[in-house]
Amino acid sequence: MSFGKFLSDRLVSVIITLVTWFILWNFFTVFHLTSQQILIIGIIYFLSAVIKILWEFFRKRDFYNNMVSNCDSLESKYLLSAMTESPDFYEGRIIYEILCTTNKSMCDSVAEYRRSSEEFQEYIELWVHEIKLPVASLLLMCHNNPDIDGKYNEQLRRIDDCIENVMYYARSENVRKDYIIKEVSLKRAFANIAIRNREELQQRNVTLKTENLDIPVMTDSKWLEYIMGQIIGNSMKYFSPEREPQIYVYAVDDSEKTVLHIRDNGIGIPASDLPYIFEKSYTGINGHTHSKSTGMGLYIIKNLCESLGHEVKAVSETDSFTDISITFGKNSFLKIPDITEL
Amino acid sequence: MNKIYIVEDDRSIRTELAELLNNSGYETECLTDFSDAENSIINARPDLILLDINIPAVNGEMLLRKLRKKTDTPVIMVTSRTSEADEVLSMSYGADDYITKPYNPTILLLRISAVLKRASKANIRTSYRNLTINSAKGSLSDGITETVLTKNEMIIFQLLLDRQGHIVSRNDIMTALWDNEEYINDNALTVNISRLRNKLSDFGYGNAIETRKKQGYILV
Repeated sequence: MSFGKFLSDRLVSVIITLVTWFILWNFFTVFHLTSQQILIIGIIYFLSAVIKILWEFFRKRDFYNNMVSNCDSLESKYLLSAMTESPDFYEGRIIYEILCTTNKSMCDSVAEYRRSSEEFQEYIELWVHEIKLPVASLLLMCHNNPDIDGKYNEQLRRIDDCIENVMYYARSENVRKDYIIKEVSLKRAFANIAIRNREELQQRNVTLKTENLDIPVMTDSKWLEYIMGQIIGNSMKYFSPEREPQIYVYAVDDSEKTVLHIRDNGIGIPASDLPYIFEKSYTGINGHTHSKSTGMGLYIIKNLCESLGHEVKAVSETDSFTDISITFGKNSFLKIPDITEL
Repeated sequence: MNKIYIVEDDRSIRTELAELLNNSGYETECLTDFSDAENSIINARPDLILLDINIPAVNGEMLLRKLRKKTDTPVIMVTSRTSEADEVLSMSYGADDYITKPYNPTILLLRISAVLKRASKANIRTSYRNLTINSAKGSLSDGITETVLTKNEMIIFQLLLDRQGHIVSRNDIMTALWDNEEYINDNALTVNISRLRNKLSDFGYGNAIETRKKQGYILV
């Protein structure tokens, strides 16, 4: 709060003071007051006017300056009302009360949306559990009936994949307490995903090569499996018809991090698309010219990875390869200390 | 014959699951009245319990805790909830394994047989006719000669042996191999089977593995 601006804001009040003095002065000369007397009255008059303005300035300055600096330093500006103390002057109190009221009303309205979004997510999760029962039932029926061939299983798998997408999208958008970070074997996680996709991988005659996967990483195994499944699914969508399809899964481990690479020899991603592939609804050239794409898969992966504290990157060369890597940190904070060492 | 107790409230899954297990050589019993689940299960004296988490009257996790106070029968938790938290909770309550719906039926069977073996409820087959299987060395021996099997051949032979007398589909064999992180393809499976047959024929069991057209293989 600058004094100059404060003063210019009170320009009318200053003018009135000066005009009043001018009238008084005329009055004094009419009554033949000595210039000494006029000087003394003038000093008292102007001093009181200055003191009045200074007093008002300093009284308000603290309140507004506090408010401005709080507002600047707060990352969540809406917390301002909680950081402000009720001032001791009338206008300030009006502002303070209005601030509190609007803030409360906004909080209520945000809470309402949050609640409805949470309710919706809960419903989605419930629905996912419900819909999985008939799918499980059908899978068992297919297995029990040897006359039914694999194509039914394949469609059931597709349904199950769609269900998983819905669930993980709901989770990634609204991250709650749904994950548990613990030691997960990359080898085991990949085996689960490979089995899940086995029929399709074999149908497409994909050669799977794995190397150095016997490494534990700190992550949520369910989420990791979903992420890997999405990456493998993408690879299968974009294989090149000119080469024998191949997926090479390997991990590079050093003292600070473990990097999991999933590399395929498919059509690759054009360099112009590469920076945007993790963005929501981005489909790129491949999404139009080759397989149908929703642009959601990699976006969900990115979200999940961020929630888990992993880094996901893509390196690719058109018509040669695509390499998606996930970096797992080795923060000692994530490790559960060995009790015997304590 | 091992008896498996099925605790599952979805009737369709329950009957299909029972059929799957019966076809794979297990005896099954299903819980139909959930009001006194705990005692019904214990009175049935099963070798293994397949326990669903979402069941009426009592939550599966609670039921597991109650069961664990009275019996150490192996329990595999089955659920449609895919969250790590449920798995960790179930395991901490004493479940032996955890599998999520919709499961691959072959994987379920593999898990069941692994859990039974671990709990040594299933008689671990270490011999076929006069052949002894040394799984640590990965070899077959008739006391005179010893033949080393590759890892893949061993997995195939063990699976056929576990289900001796039942047809094992190529699909099942493939799943078992992939479950052991051996990502081989269809041709390689054919090659592995014929190598295994050759090795068995060295012992004079050239016809031990029979091919059933369009169905799979059977160890006789």
